[in-house]
Amino acid sequence: MLFSQDINISEALQTNALSMTLMDEKTRYSLRIKPKDLAAFKKASGLKLPAKIGQSIRTSAHSYLCLGPDEWIVITANENRNNLREIFVNMTAKFTYSYVDVSHRNIGFVLSGEQVENAINIGCPLDLSLDTFPIGKVTRTVFENAPIMVLRTGTTEFQLECWRSFAPYICGLFDRFAMDL
Amino acid sequence: MFEVHCPYCNEKRPEIEFAYAGEAHIVRETKADELTDQEWAEFLFYRDNKRGDHHERWWHQHGCNMFFNAVRNTLTDKFVMTYKMGVKRPTKTQIKAAKNGK
Repeated sequence: MLFSQDINISEALQTNALSMTLMDEKTRYSLRIKPKDLAAFKKASGLKLPAKIGQSIRTSAHSYLCLGPDEWIVITANENRNNLREIFVNMTAKFTYSYVDVSHRNIGFVLSGEQVENAINIGCPLDLSLDTFPIGKVTRTVFENAPIMVLRTGTTEFQLECWRSFAPYICGLFDRFAMDL
Repeated sequence: MFEVHCPYCNEKRPEIEFAYAGEAHIVRETKADELTDQEWAEFLFYRDNKRGDHHERWWHQHGCNMFFNAVRNTLTDKFVMTYKMGVKRPTKTQIKAAKNGK
């Protein structure tokens, strides 16, 4: 156990319209790689890093999220932690890049339900319709002034990540928003 | 709320994700220790404070986390164009074309 994931999610957030669940504890790495090194890095490491901002690739083991032109987040289950770190350590000999373990910083939620787009849109001004925010798209943004990361995992399902100090605030907001839906 | 086009994300994003970062195209002084106090003060603090089309830096803080340059009209608060860091300052004709193109 890395840290306490003790977050209370209200019972009002377990309906068909909007359901919010806390994700299991995960391992998360933040990567900064020079764009010119990306192709060689992918080949040497075997990691499936997407090249375009906003794209994500989810394999059975890892989620690879591209947040900026030189910035990626890799999310994986805790049992893969040592394997992944070994890959990153091996790459330090070949590339100038950075990998930072941010597992302790982020906390993840799964939001689903018919009203999930509307619920997120109460606090976040992004256009979340399927045309502009298709399945697999990921971005950093703000939710009622709290910095968050949103990943669309299904037509009515999103993964929302935030710094863990913001988690009670965000849960509380969704609890109140659920009453309006 | 208005939207700003981020040249790195290549899409329009809500204004709340961005932060202003001062006037653009200010070249860093290489011989700072040879300057007079007045010249150094002018480099650090003196800005055009333009009325009209203004070249400025913006930061996509809650997005791709990149800095980029923009031409914004300080009178109307409208963004005329945004472009990546390292791109040369757009000329008057380019700014005019960007205005007509929209």
